Amino acid sequence: MPRFLSLIAVSVSLMLTACVTSHPQSAEEFRVAAPDAFMGMKETMEVDRPFSAVAATFRQKAPECLSVKVEMTERSATSYHVVVTAYKPTVVVNNNRAELHVQQTHEKGVLNVTEVPDGGYYLLVADAYPLNDGRTRLELFGPSRGYDVLIRAVKGWASGENLGCPDMTKIG
Amino acid sequence: MKIRNAQAAHGIAGPVLIAFLFAMAGCSGLQAYPNKLDKNLQVRTQLQSGSVFSKVRASMSIYQVNSECQIEYEGTVNLREPHVPVGVPAGRWSYLVFDFSSSGFLSNTSTSTSSRALLNPQAGTRYDVDVTYRDDIYNVTIRSIASDGTVLELPLLGLEACRQA
Repeated sequence: MPRFLSLIAVSVSLMLTACVTSHPQSAEEFRVAAPDAFMGMKETMEVDRPFSAVAATFRQKAPECLSVKVEMTERSATSYHVVVTAYKPTVVVNNNRAELHVQQTHEKGVLNVTEVPDGGYYLLVADAYPLNDGRTRLELFGPSRGYDVLIRAVKGWASGENLGCPDMTKIG
Repeated sequence: MKIRNAQAAHGIAGPVLIAFLFAMAGCSGLQAYPNKLDKNLQVRTQLQSGSVFSKVRASMSIYQVNSECQIEYEGTVNLREPHVPVGVPAGRWSYLVFDFSSSGFLSNTSTSTSSRALLNPQAGTRYDVDVTYRDDIYNVTIRSIASDGTVLELPLLGLEACRQA
């Protein structure tokens, strides 16, 4: 079944079975929902890097790497489907926490059956907290499968070991 | 056949998309960059798809930027070799678009994503450009090496920077 039909079918099925009546409408709601969600996860790690450096990297790399649109075209002998997904990063920094939110909006080819938050459905929230010894704790909330490259990239930004951009055509 | 194409939400999505579609259609609108100027860019490329069943390729397209921040395509350099010297005009803005495309041997899937940088090369300065794609994570870094040996890592500026200048 073509990918977009699958997405529609899944969305409609969820609606009909009342499994999902709403998606998290804020980063805070996403933090609460993700760890217990089907194929959701929360992961915690510490990096040997000061909080200010992690926050600065989030500020630099998120807009550079994650403000993208991905167009997926699927052709067969009998069908032609296009799905356009726009990703939107947001970085919020204060003295106690640096937050990276990644949201996605299907602009074409996918039927959204639940309310879409401003900026799109939440896909990933990464929170960095300062520790006393110049280290930083990172908490990641997001999907447990299919988004490995995005999660690896954010971990690389936090640790400073890899400042590359995730190839967003390889997720999902 | 599946095609996935990622574009920066800002920047030159249109020209790159058109070039990509031409390339995919087998009648590539891409033209070789003349590359006749003094080679002030040393482009070093490392590509690793992360799978034996897929291959990744990289190229760098060069656009001239006019005073109104509009761009004009000048040509594309294939980054097949680990080291490719490129000559870009000094004293004016150029827009460099690094395109990474991958395709699978056993599937009908092809993908394309890009990174871009606005650069105003200075005469007498050399620029080292490191281009990597490894396990689905890509990176482009540009360092200027002045004649006195001073090394500076340059931020990757988008066209917005030209418009804001």
